[in-house]
Amino acid sequence: MPARTLLKKLKGVLGEHIGQAWVPRPHRAFFSVRRDELHDVVEALVNRFDIKHLSTITGVDTGEELELLYHFWDYDVCFTVKITLPREKPCIKTLTDIVPGALFYEREVHDLLGVEFEEHPDLSPLVLPDGWEEGHPLLKDWSPP
Amino acid sequence: MAQRLVIPIGPQHPALKEPLGFRFRVEGERVLETHIRMGYVHRGIERALQERSYIQALYLVERVCGICSHIHTTAFCQGVEELLGLEIPPRALYIRTIVCELERIHSHLLWLGVIGRDAGFETLFMYTWRDRETVLDILEEISGNRINYAVNTFGGVRIDLTSAQIESIPKRLDYLEEQAHYYLKLVTTEATFVARTHGVGYLSREDGRAFCVVGPTIRASGVDRDVRRDDPYAAYEELPFQVVTATEGDALARTVVRVKEVIESVRMIRHALHNLPEGEVRVRVRRRIPPGEVISRVEAPRGELIYYIKSDGTERPARVKIRAPTLANMVAVPHMLKGAHIADIPIVVAAIDLCIACADR
Repeated sequence: MPARTLLKKLKGVLGEHIGQAWVPRPHRAFFSVRRDELHDVVEALVNRFDIKHLSTITGVDTGEELELLYHFWDYDVCFTVKITLPREKPCIKTLTDIVPGALFYEREVHDLLGVEFEEHPDLSPLVLPDGWEEGHPLLKDWSPP
Repeated sequence: MAQRLVIPIGPQHPALKEPLGFRFRVEGERVLETHIRMGYVHRGIERALQERSYIQALYLVERVCGICSHIHTTAFCQGVEELLGLEIPPRALYIRTIVCELERIHSHLLWLGVIGRDAGFETLFMYTWRDRETVLDILEEISGNRINYAVNTFGGVRIDLTSAQIESIPKRLDYLEEQAHYYLKLVTTEATFVARTHGVGYLSREDGRAFCVVGPTIRASGVDRDVRRDDPYAAYEELPFQVVTATEGDALARTVVRVKEVIESVRMIRHALHNLPEGEVRVRVRRRIPPGEVISRVEAPRGELIYYIKSDGTERPARVKIRAPTLANMVAVPHMLKGAHIADIPIVVAAIDLCIACADR
């Protein structure tokens, strides 16, 4: 189904949870949600819409805040759920209890941007070396040691 | 009761083609739990891309993976072209697609040799790697390189196909198709190969979906999903092809899916060569990329490859995120290995077609 139709369908059920939403082209949709509502929104995607495929999580440091983009795949549409986190002590509840495929993606965001995922079963380093104490390389103010 | 042990394998180990760290908790001959440690070939490419101009970044993304380099540049170019709002000449899109499919054949044949070798069927490895040379020869003729072809550029492709190439490639494709049919018969009837792969590394449809698995691995578990058809890019909308699926969800099914995909790829290339549009192969592009964010998705040989590109209007990308298909599939490996025989570990791991350099970046 076209991205617009999908977005309309999601809005019908999730209503006020969906903040700003836009459709840049037929196979793409974006919408933002409040960070404390992310878990509930994704739970609804999985249980009520049977949208289970999380393609990945992108973390972006804009300089003022951190953006997390959760890219989902539903048939012909790739839609992105966007949340923002403060740069100081960024923290969000894990999705691994509802989307097991998020296990490695959350670990990677934890490595590279320092986001804490509450209740994640294992946040040990995924791509950075053991004992790495030189910070999170994808933060804007990071410089190589 | 059999003794419980922890067996570490890797990051350096003769059975591994690339560095990856495993810790298997076993009881007797059975695997209870698997822990995977990656990052041994993490090169910080996403950070490095932010410090390069777009054109430099293009050459770096080509080097994310040594096997499927073209698919990475395809994803990156498409994303940047979308930011620019460019219309790409149809001939360029066809050439991109042809190289994508040649690359898929080369990747699948390479993998078929690896799984053959892991299953104790070394002759298969010899056969498929010989035939893979046919594809590499075609790629070399087209681009000048056996790997890292550097065919893509923003606004189109850097090479054009000559009429002599358009005429000579199909003959060699005939050979590859014939061989693929032979391999299909071989892997489904050869007693040793079937015994080593049938029922091994089982992944149910539901578990595959829960772990967000992609590519031939999920298609072999009965999920009909392929970016080329679902979210068409390049010239895929105009090419007739079947999305190959199987329902068994084991290593044998993954093998059959990949061999059948080789046959589909051969047919697609033949069709694309036959219907190759005339005209330009690239358009000129501005150096500055307008601000915006895009998601570019493609079907790499191993599955969905996704690029997120954010531009702030300067000559360098503000953020490029790459998620290679191996990272998506690796999450399911500990699950597939639960209860497996130690001797089956190499087959289960190889069956998802690992590319560690891709996954680590």
